[in-house]
Order: sequence, then structure tokens, then C-alpha cells
Amino acid sequence: MARVLVADDSETILLLLRTRLEMEGHDVSTAADGEEVMDVVLRGGGERPDVLLLDAMMPRKSGIDALRELRAEGIDTPALIVSAHQDEGDLTTSDLGVDGYVTKPIDFERLFASISELTA
Amino acid sequence: MSPSLASRLTIGFAIAFAALTGLAVIGVARSLHQRQDFENATARSYQVEIEARNQLVQNVRPAAARAEVKAQERKRQELRNNIDSQTRDTALLVGAGLIAGLTGAALLFNGLIASMRRPLEELVEASERLASGDLEARVNAGGLSETATLGAAFNEMADELQRRAGERDRLDRMRDEFVLTTSHELRSPLTSVQGFAELLMLERDNLSPKQADTVEIILDNTRHLVRLLNDLLDLARSDAGRLAIKPVPTDIASLIDDTVRTMRNQTEAAGQQLSQAVEGGLPPLQVDRDRIRQVLVNLLTNAHEYCPERASIHVAAARVDDEVEIAVSDNGPGMSSDQLEHIFDRFTRGDAGLTQRVGGTGLGLAISKSLIELHGGTLRAVSAPGQGSSFLIRLPVEPKPGDARGRQAAAEVD
Repeated sequence: MARVLVADDSETILLLLRTRLEMEGHDVSTAADGEEVMDVVLRGGGERPDVLLLDAMMPRKSGIDALRELRAEGIDTPALIVSAHQDEGDLTTSDLGVDGYVTKPIDFERLFASISELTA
Repeated sequence: MSPSLASRLTIGFAIAFAALTGLAVIGVARSLHQRQDFENATARSYQVEIEARNQLVQNVRPAAARAEVKAQERKRQELRNNIDSQTRDTALLVGAGLIAGLTGAALLFNGLIASMRRPLEELVEASERLASGDLEARVNAGGLSETATLGAAFNEMADELQRRAGERDRLDRMRDEFVLTTSHELRSPLTSVQGFAELLMLERDNLSPKQADTVEIILDNTRHLVRLLNDLLDLARSDAGRLAIKPVPTDIASLIDDTVRTMRNQTEAAGQQLSQAVEGGLPPLQVDRDRIRQVLVNLLTNAHEYCPERASIHVAAARVDDEVEIAVSDNGPGMSSDQLEHIFDRFTRGDAGLTQRVGGTGLGLAISKSLIELHGGTLRAVSAPGQGSSFLIRLPVEPKPGDARGRQAAAEVD
């Protein structure tokens, strides 16, 4: 079971992801944008998340920008980018340490498989 | 202001006509004058001869009179010879005038043609460039006023074409942007609807059968909306020439195997027989696995949805010359030639009255065709009413570089 940090600017999507991930037995924390992701990962107390699940497009700071900054800080926590469609990710993250893409609507079976793989 | 072709021709003809007329008048006048001299001299000669003959009759100096008659006859002969040679000279003069005039006219025409030729050649060249898509092609609107007018009209037309092309590109970009944005904006709510409906289905045991059926309907329709959105996105990309494929060496046999396996649940539920026959030793193909799978799923789903229960669906793959042919065939109701003609058009669907299962978007075949053509291959359909349908994919074994004609193909589908 993994500690998963989920970032999305939609509360409904956060609720959905939290519910499904917790049903799978994961420990879920949430962030509303990239800034909050930075806070949790860099300045949060306690243990760092095992997996990041970041929405590609968020106000203030996108998941992609947050991940770029985290990688620059030397943080190599596995990260999955959630995007509306794959080209969004492809266009902007080819140089980034992305471990996988999740497209909307979310195929949860595939998402669970990816998380198990990344935290094995 | 450049001289017009008509004014040059008029001036040229006037000069040539005046020259010819002048020469002819001079010639004819000279000829008439000579004729008069000849007739006067001949008349005088007859007069002298008649006097000499009178003297002969009256026997006055008969020897001298006889000599005079002979002399006058000789003189008239000389006069006749003389006028003949002068007539020849006049004819020569008029002839020479004619030749000179005609030569002048020919030179004039030659000059005119030369002055038209360069601007015309330039126009031809610019037209060819424009036709081949170079919207920057223009001409120097010079030369005769006719060619200058033609050149200016051509340039105006080219300006207009360029303006419209720019406007069309702008509208195309706006439309692409609109579809991309719409697709993006619709996905978040759809993710929630589908996600929470799935969540409800996970707790199916706590739902009444009626509630479970209701949630099932929500899920079915949500998935249909997602498919529609994906297809619209693919078409927009295809139209924008941005439908990308990522070809990797792919074992077609295992790809067909995988796809057939994922379809089996659906076909078995309808009591349909799904079989496959893949020729051994097919070479790996340089294709985008996901996209070819998408096409196969589309063709198999169509066969499944348009065929009645207990129909047979067959997938075959074999090498044909430099290509691999994948055929998805069924023994369903088939299509009329009219349906067949429009089968790859957008939003074209077969007769849905036949079955309740048809849930496609009407875009699948148009996208499939674009995708196969993007791989440098072809997709065509063979069918007749009551004879079943076959969809034949041909993919090149050696992909030709730069064969990405997806956009063109999609445009022809319109």
C-alpha cells in the first residue's frame, strides 16, 4: 500500500480519486495545484509520498511545472501525469522524468496497476 | 500608359496599306501614261503609213513610199516590244512593292509577338507556380496594355487567393483550437460522471436491480460520449495534419490475437462466431500498435454490431506482394452499392433498424481510413446485399518515407 499525493484543481475529481485509491488501501493526501504539491513534498512534515499523481493543467502552477521544479530539486519520487488527452503530456513533458500518463476519463484498473508497478 | 496591342496593329496596318497603295498608284499611273504614249506613237505611225500607201497608189515615188510603209511597220513592232518590256517593269515594281509591304508587315508582327511573348511567358510561369500552391507568385504587369491588364488582373487574383488562404488557415486553427479546448473541458465532468457511476457499480449489491440498470445506462452513455469525443479529436487532428502515429516494429499476428481476444466477450454474448487465420511468417510491420489496434477494434465492433446473432466474423492476415493484407469479413446483411460508396464518409452509419446494438459514432471508418493512409496503406470495403461485408487493410512491409498523406485522405472523405 502506497502513500499517494493527488493534485487536481477539481474537488470532485479529488474526491473520486481519493475514494477509489482509499478503497484499494492507499494512503491519500491531496493538493489543489502545483504550489500545494511543492509545499507538501518539499516542506511537508512526516514522510514523503511514494507516488505523485499530478493533473497536467492546474491554475497557479501546473502539474508539469511542479514536477519540473521537483526534479530540479533532485526529488525523484515516481510521478504520473493526468491529462485530458495524451498529446498534452507528449508536447510538454518529453524532457521530464514522467513515469507514466493517465488520461481522462480515468481507467482505474490501469491506474492501480501503474501505482503497484512504481512502488514495487 | 503602355501602348495597346490594337493601336500598334492599327498603326502597322496603316503604314503597310499606305505604302502598298502608293506603290500601286505609281505603278498604275506610269503604266497608263506609257500606254497613252504608245497609242499616240502607234496612231502617228499608221498616219505616216497611210500617207505612204496613198503615194504608192498614186505611184508617186513608189520606191520611197514602199520603204516608208516597211519602216512604219518596223517602228510599230519596236513600239510594241518597248511597251511590253515597260509593262514587265511596272509589274516588277508593283511586285517588289508587294513583297516589301508584306515583309514589313511580317517584321511588324514579329515585333508585336515578341513584345507579347515575354509577359505571356511570365504569366504562364506564375500561373503554374500559383497552381502548385505557391501563393507568393506574381508577375511584373508591364508590356502592351493588354498584357499589363492581364498581369494586373492575375496579381489581384493571387492577392485574393492569398488573403482567403490566410483566412481559411486562421479559421482552421480556430476550429482545431475549439475542438481541443472543448474536448479538454468536457473531459473533467465526464471523468466525474463515469468515475462515480463506476463507484456505484462497485456497490451493486447494495442497489436494487432497477437502480443497477439505471447506473448501467449512465455508464453506457458516458462511454459513448467519451468515444465521440475521442473520435472528434482524432478527426480534428487529422484535418489539421496533426494526427500523429508512432510506428514501431510490430508483430501483426500477436496484435490481431490480442484484439480478437478483447472482442470475444461481446461476440460470444451475441452468439456470433469469431475466428482468425493469420498466415505464418509475416514480417514485422513498422506501425503504431495502438492506432492499428484502434482500427481493428473499429472494424470488429462494426461487424459485431451490424451482424445478426449467430453470424460469423473472420479476421485473416496474409502477405500480398509488398504488403500485408488484413481482412475483417462477416456473413452479415452486407451493403448496397449506394451505402458502400459513402461508407467512409463522416457520420455515415448503416441501417441501424436491423439491430439495437449499434452504438458507434459514425466517425470510426473515416478515422480508420485516415489512420491506415497515414501508415502509407489503404483501407477499402467490399460488400453486396446478402453477401456479407469485407474490410481490407493493406499495410506496406517497407513503409515509404514521407507517405503521411493522412490529411489529404481525410479531406477526400468529406
